[in-house]
Amino acid sequence: MIHFIFNRNPILPLWLVAILCVALVSQLTQRKVAAQEGISLTAEQSQFFESKVRPILVEHCYECHATDSETIEAGLLLDSKWGWETGGDSGPAIIPHDPRQSLLMEAVRYEENVISGMPPRSKLADNQIADLEKWITMGAPDPREKIEEDPSMNERENFNLEKRFESHWSWRPIRKPALPEVQNEKWVKTGLDRFVLAEQEARGLRPAETAYKPTWLRRIYLDLIGLPPTAQQISEFVKDDSDNAYEKVVDSLLESTYFGEKWARHWLDLMRYAETYGHEFDYAIPHATEYRDYVIRALNADVPYDQLVHEHLAGDLLPQPRLHPEQHFNESVIGTGFWYLHEATHSPTDVLGNEAGIIDNQIDVFGKAFLGLTVACARCHDHKFDAISTKDYYSLSAHIQSSARQEYNLDVDQQRKNARDTIAKQLNVIEHGIRDASQQPQVIRDAIQLNAATQDIPSQLTFTSNQVADDPNNEFIEFETFSDGKLPAGWSTSNGGFAAIGEDLRVRSDGTLAMPYTMDSGIWGNKQTGSLRSPTFTIEKNNIHFLIKSTANIKIQVIIDNYQMTGFNGLLFNGTLLQGGGTDTKGQWQWKSLGGNLNKYIGHRCYLEFIDNGDAEIAIDQIVFSNSGAPKTAVGAALDETQMALQIDQAITDLQSKRSNRWLAWQSQRTPELAALIEANFADAFSEIKSANQKLAPPRFVLAMTQGTTEDASVYIRGSHTNPGTKVPPRNLTAFGGETGSRLNLAEDLTDPENPLTSRVIVNRIWHHLFGTGIVPTVDDFGPQGQPPSNADLLDWLASEHMTSDWSMKQTIRSIVLSATYRQQSKPHPSLPIQQMTQADPTNQTLYFMPIRRLMGETIRDTMLAVAGSLNSAHYGGSVPTHRTEFMTGRGARGSGPLDGNGRRSIYLSIYRNFLNPFFATFDTPNPFGPQGRRSKSNVPAQALALMNDPLVIELSNRWGKQVASNDQNNLRDKITSMVVAAHGSEPTDKQLEAYEQFLNTQGEVHGKLDERAWSDLAHTLFNMKAFYFVQ
Amino acid sequence: MLQWCANGFGAIALQSLQSHATVDAAESPQQSPWAPKKPHFPSKAKNVIFLYMDGGPSHVDTFDYKPALEKYNGKNPHEVIGNLAPTQFDAVGSVLKSPWEFKQHGESGHWISSLFPHLSEVADDLAFIKSMTSQFSEHTSANYFLHTGNGLQGRPSMGAWMGYGLGSENQNLPGFVVINGGLIPPGGLDCFGSGFLPSAYQGSIFLPKDQPLPNIQRRERTDQIQLNKLDLIRQFDRELNDSLGGESEIEAAISNYETAYQMQRSVPELMDLSQETEETKKLYGLDAEFDNTKTFARQCLIARRLVERGVRFIELTCPGGNGDRWDQHGGLVDGHNKNCRTVDQPIAALIKDLKRTGLFESTLLVWAGEFGRTPFAQGSNGRDHNPFGFTVWMAGGGVKGGASVGATDQWGYRAVENRFEIHDLHATMLHLLGVDHTQSTFRFSGRDMRLTDVHGHIIKEVLA
Repeated sequence: MIHFIFNRNPILPLWLVAILCVALVSQLTQRKVAAQEGISLTAEQSQFFESKVRPILVEHCYECHATDSETIEAGLLLDSKWGWETGGDSGPAIIPHDPRQSLLMEAVRYEENVISGMPPRSKLADNQIADLEKWITMGAPDPREKIEEDPSMNERENFNLEKRFESHWSWRPIRKPALPEVQNEKWVKTGLDRFVLAEQEARGLRPAETAYKPTWLRRIYLDLIGLPPTAQQISEFVKDDSDNAYEKVVDSLLESTYFGEKWARHWLDLMRYAETYGHEFDYAIPHATEYRDYVIRALNADVPYDQLVHEHLAGDLLPQPRLHPEQHFNESVIGTGFWYLHEATHSPTDVLGNEAGIIDNQIDVFGKAFLGLTVACARCHDHKFDAISTKDYYSLSAHIQSSARQEYNLDVDQQRKNARDTIAKQLNVIEHGIRDASQQPQVIRDAIQLNAATQDIPSQLTFTSNQVADDPNNEFIEFETFSDGKLPAGWSTSNGGFAAIGEDLRVRSDGTLAMPYTMDSGIWGNKQTGSLRSPTFTIEKNNIHFLIKSTANIKIQVIIDNYQMTGFNGLLFNGTLLQGGGTDTKGQWQWKSLGGNLNKYIGHRCYLEFIDNGDAEIAIDQIVFSNSGAPKTAVGAALDETQMALQIDQAITDLQSKRSNRWLAWQSQRTPELAALIEANFADAFSEIKSANQKLAPPRFVLAMTQGTTEDASVYIRGSHTNPGTKVPPRNLTAFGGETGSRLNLAEDLTDPENPLTSRVIVNRIWHHLFGTGIVPTVDDFGPQGQPPSNADLLDWLASEHMTSDWSMKQTIRSIVLSATYRQQSKPHPSLPIQQMTQADPTNQTLYFMPIRRLMGETIRDTMLAVAGSLNSAHYGGSVPTHRTEFMTGRGARGSGPLDGNGRRSIYLSIYRNFLNPFFATFDTPNPFGPQGRRSKSNVPAQALALMNDPLVIELSNRWGKQVASNDQNNLRDKITSMVVAAHGSEPTDKQLEAYEQFLNTQGEVHGKLDERAWSDLAHTLFNMKAFYFVQ
Repeated sequence: MLQWCANGFGAIALQSLQSHATVDAAESPQQSPWAPKKPHFPSKAKNVIFLYMDGGPSHVDTFDYKPALEKYNGKNPHEVIGNLAPTQFDAVGSVLKSPWEFKQHGESGHWISSLFPHLSEVADDLAFIKSMTSQFSEHTSANYFLHTGNGLQGRPSMGAWMGYGLGSENQNLPGFVVINGGLIPPGGLDCFGSGFLPSAYQGSIFLPKDQPLPNIQRRERTDQIQLNKLDLIRQFDRELNDSLGGESEIEAAISNYETAYQMQRSVPELMDLSQETEETKKLYGLDAEFDNTKTFARQCLIARRLVERGVRFIELTCPGGNGDRWDQHGGLVDGHNKNCRTVDQPIAALIKDLKRTGLFESTLLVWAGEFGRTPFAQGSNGRDHNPFGFTVWMAGGGVKGGASVGATDQWGYRAVENRFEIHDLHATMLHLLGVDHTQSTFRFSGRDMRLTDVHGHIIKEVLA
C-alpha cells in the first residue's frame, strides 16, 4: 500500500518536509542573509574594471542578468560579484584566474559546448572578449556589491505543489456518490441514468424519446464492433420482444472478436501506434503488429484495466505474467512494447539530445494515456499549472533510462523452454556418463591421447581472471571475464539461451565440452535464442574487444544513450555494431572488436548487448577496453610427453568429480575426434537432443522493455541535456507519494484504488467513445488547463463502479450502453421548448438527446467493405501494405499494397509514419506522433471529395452494384430495400422507395440500360448519404 | 463565392460559414475551418509563397560572400576556425573557397554569386537575413523545425498555422497548397501536415499535372451522372436533417458537397495555363532548355495564379535530378549549378510578374533551406550541413527590399551578428500577415501551442 498524500497522516508527510526544507534554504533567503562586505580593489584593477569590463557587462549582459531585469535568464546575475560567484543554473559563471574553466568565457566565445553563445543576438567584438579574458586572468576584481532585492518586486510565483494538489478537482479522492433522487423514476434503467436525469431535471429538461429499435441497433453495432448489422440481425432484433432483447445483443457483440478490433483502434490512438519510425527513411519498427494484436486480444479477453496498466508499465517485471490461454506465451510483457512505438531518426549528431527527445515522447504518452496528465510539460520547468515538478519529470525519465529495449521471444507453447529441459536432461545423462567413465582413467587417457593435439592452450585462454593476456604495456582495461561461473552482478539475459559456464562439467549439444568461465548460447543447440546485456557503464576508451567463439548472425552492439537505430544505418555509429558475417570466428576462439566511431562517444553512458536470435551461437570469454587494437593471440606451445601427461592427469581428476578445465574444453572444441567419441558413446541421448531441436518452430519476437541498470537521472536544467543538474532516482510523481521504486511499484501506485486519476481517466475515455464527448471533454488532460467534468458525480460513480467490477472494461461499456441515456433518440423530446434548451443547455452537456456522430474513417471503410460483401473476416497477423497513390512519394516508400487492402479490416492496414493513409487522414485519424485520445472532428469538403471520387469508394460501389444487379430473385423494390437496409440500417419509406426507383430509372436511361452501372450509382449514392457515414 | 449550378443540387442555400470564432476547432465542427478570418492588425501581405530549397543551399556560394575563404583555401579548418561542432558525415576536409564569382548588384549592393544571374536583376527587391540558425544538423529534424518550429514529427506546418489564423480567401481551392516539383523532402508529408490542428489545415500536395490533387476529378463518365447522384444525396440528406430538427454537423456536411463539386471545377481551371501569354511563359522559362527550369517555371506560374485566387499559403518544393536536392555533400559545382539553373529564372520572373500584376505588395516571398553548408569541404568537393549560420531572404509585401541584416563570422561558419533562429523567421512571417505570433494559439496537450513555441522575435530590420 502506498501513502497517497491525501491520506492525511498526523505526521507531516515526507514530501512536505522536503518542500519546506527546500524553501528554507532557497536562494531568496540566502540572498537576504548573505551580507557582503565592501570589496577593495587596487587603483589599477579599478581602472581596468571601470573602463573595460563594466561597460561590456552593462551594455551586453544586464538586460537579462541583472537584479532588475524583467526576467532573469538561467538564474544568473552579473550585476555583482556575488552574482557570478553564486552563478546560475549551470554553476559559477567565472572562476577567478582561470578563463578556460569560466562558463562566461565559453559563452562569449560562442563555443557552444554547454551553453549557447552569449550575448544571444551578436557576438562581442574580439577586443571585448580579450578584455574579459584578461580581467578573469587578473582574478576578476569586482567592486560591485550584492544588490539587495526589493522584496515587493520579487514575489515571483512560487511553485506550490501541495496547494495545487489540494485545489484541483482531479487530484481529490474519488468517493462514490449516493444515487440521486429523480422525479421521472420510470425512465431510469441503470444507476448512471439517475445522475444524467438529475442534472437534466435540475435544468428543467427531460430526456429524449427512446430510439427506434433499428436506430439503436445500428448505433450499438457501430459503437461496439465497428461494423453494421445485417438485414437478418435487424429483423431478428426488431421481432424480439423478450425482456432481455437488448442485453442479448450487447452480450453477443461484446463476445465478438470484432469488438477488440474496434476498441483497439481507440487505444492505439493513445499509444501513437505506427509500424515505422518516420523521419528520413521511414524504417520499420520491429514486430509492431504483435503489439497491435496483443491489444486486440487483451480487449477481447476483457483483461482488467488495472492489469493492462501493469502490463504496459512493467509487464516484464510481473512475478506471474498473464499467459496466452492456448499458446501459453507471456502476454504481459508485450504491453511494454508501447514505450518503443515512438518516431526515431537515424544518425543524430547529438545522441544524448536524441534520447532526451524520445523520453519526452514516452513520458508524454505515459502521462496522458494513463493519468490524463501533461507530465511532459514539466521537462523544462515545474509545471505551470499542475502539481508536477521538473524533478518528477526526471524521476520518470530515470525509470526509462534504467530500462533497456529487448527483442523478447514469445516462445509459443514454451517450445524452447521445453526443448531446453529435455536437452538439459540428456546432457546431464552424458555428463554423468563421462564422470562414470573417468573412474576408469585408462579409457579417458586413451581417448585423449589418441585424439588430442600435443599442444598447449593459447595464451589468451590460459587465465581465468584478473589479467589480460599479453599486455606488457598495461594498456587494456578488463571489463568482464565471467570468472565466477555465473551471470555477473549487473548483467542480465533474456530468452533463456545463455548459460553461465563455471568449473562444472558442461557438455554442449554438439558433443564438445563448454569452456569454463564463459557465457555460452550454444549449450542447448543453435535453435535457442538469448540476449545478454552488460550493466551500464561510461565509455572511456575507443575500442571494445571480445574474446569469443561465435558463428555468423550474432548481434554484438554497444547501445549508447539507448540509441537503437544503428542496425538500419551506420552513419555516425559505425563500429558500434557487429552483425552478419562480422561475428563469425570460424570455429576458433578469436578477438573481435567494436571500434570505429566510439571515440565520438567518450563520456556517454552505454551498455553492451550480445543477441542470439536463433540459428547461431556464441560463447563469450572476456571483454576488454583499449585505445588500440585487440590483444595479441599467441599460439600455444608444443607440449612434451611429461607436460601432456600432467594435463591429462588433471583432466581425469577434474572429470572424476564432474568438473572440467579450460585445457580439456579447449582440446574437446578443437579436436573433432573427441566430440565424435562422446557422441558415439552417448548416441541415444544425442539423438533425442537432435529431435528436440528439429521440432522447434521459428522464434516469434516482440519488442519489449526489460530492466537495465537502475540509475538516477540528471535533471536537465531548463530542459537542456547539455546542462545536467542534480540527480533524481526512479520514482513516481510526488503527488502520488513519490516513493523510489521499480516500474512495478509505479504500476501499483497508478492502479491503487486510492489513485484519483487512473479509473476516472479510463471510464471517461469509454464515455467519450460512446457519446462523442467525454464527461471531461479534454480526455487526455485532467489538469487545470483541461476542462472540468460536466457531471462530476457521474464520473466518480462510474469510476467507483469500474473498480468494484474488477476494472472490467466490458462491464463498464455494458452498463453504459444498456442505460436509458444511451437508448435515446438523436433529437430532443418534442415537448421541450426550444427556448428552454437554448437557455438551459445549448450544447447538450446533460445528454437530453443522443448526439449525432460522424463515423471514424476506419469504420466508414470497414462498413463499406461489409456492405459490399468484400469484408475479409480474418483476424490478427501481419499488416497489409499501404496502398500508395501517385501522390504518396518520398524517401522510404515501400511497394504499394492492394487498393482494397485485401478486404482486411482497417486495423490490419499498415501505418507507415511517412505514408499515412490519406482517406483516414481526411476523416481525422490522428498522426501518430503522440497520444491522442480525442480525434479532431473536422467536417470539410475533402471528405465529400473522398466519398465522391476516391478509387476505393468507387470500386466498392461497383462491386456492390454488380452483385445486386446479378441477383435475379428480387424485384426492383426489394433490391432497393435490401441495399438501403444494408447501408443505413433501416427500411426506406414508400416515398423514399419511389425516389430511389426514379433515380435508378434515370441513371438507366443515361447509361442506356438499367444494368449494374445504375445499381453501382445507387450504391455509391447510398455511401455518400449522411445516413451512412453518420450514426444517430 | 460559390457559383450555383443550374440544377437542383446547386440551389440549396449556403450555410453561413463565414462567422468564425477561433476557439478549439475540435469542438466546433460545424464551422468551415478555412473561412477567412481577420488578422490581428492591418497588413500589406495577404498571401505567402514559400520557396523551399530542400537539402540546404550553400550560403557561402550564393549570397554570403566570404573573401577569407579564398585566403584560407586548403587550410585545416580545425586550425583556422577552431572548435568545430560534429558534422553529419564526420568527414571534415579543408577550408573550401567558393568556386563562383561574387559581385555586388543593384543600388543595395547585395553580394550575389554568379549562380543567380536572373535574381541579381531584382536584387533591390530582396531582403537578406544572413545570420539565420537552426538547431539540427539532420535533414528531417531540420525540415520539421523549419516548417513547424519543432524538430519532431507531426507538428502543424506554418501553412497550417496561417490557415488556422487567417483562413483563406478562396473556398473552392485548398488554402495551403504545396506545389510539388518532384521531391518530397526528407521527413515526408509531415513537413506539410496539420499536426494537432484539425486535419483540414494540412497542406494539399499538387503534383505538376492537369489533375494535381487526389479525388479532384469525378469518376463518372459525364457530369450529368454525377449531378444526378448529388441531387439524390442532397434530397435524402435534407430529409434526414429535417427529421432531426436541423443538425449543424449534418448541415455542414451537406454544404461540403456543394464546395467539393465546385473544387472539381476550380482546380483544373487553375492548372490550365492556356490563357497565359507567350511572353509570360517565356519570362518564367517554360521554354527553357533545361527541363527542371521548365518544371519550376510552371510551379512559379501556378503560384502566381494561386495568389491571384486568394489562396493563403503556397509552398514550392524543388524538382528532382539535380544531385539529390541542394544537398551537395559531393559534386558541389555540378549540383549547385543545376539547382540554381532550376530556380533562378523562374523566381526572378515570379517577382517581376507579381510586380507588374500589382500582387507583389500583397504577397510575401520567402526563400530558405533547412540549413546552410560548411565553409570547409566534406571530402574534397562537397560541403556538409551547417545549421550554425546561413542565409534566407524575403521579398514582397511589407518587406524592405534591399535590406540586409546579420552576419556570420569571417568564414561563414557561425552567425555572430544579429543571430536569428527559425522561430524569428516564423514570427516575422506571421507579423507581415498581420498576425501576432504570441496571440495565435491552439490549446493542445494542456498548453496554448504556438508556431513559435515560447520563442520568436520579429526581425525588424527587414520590415518596410
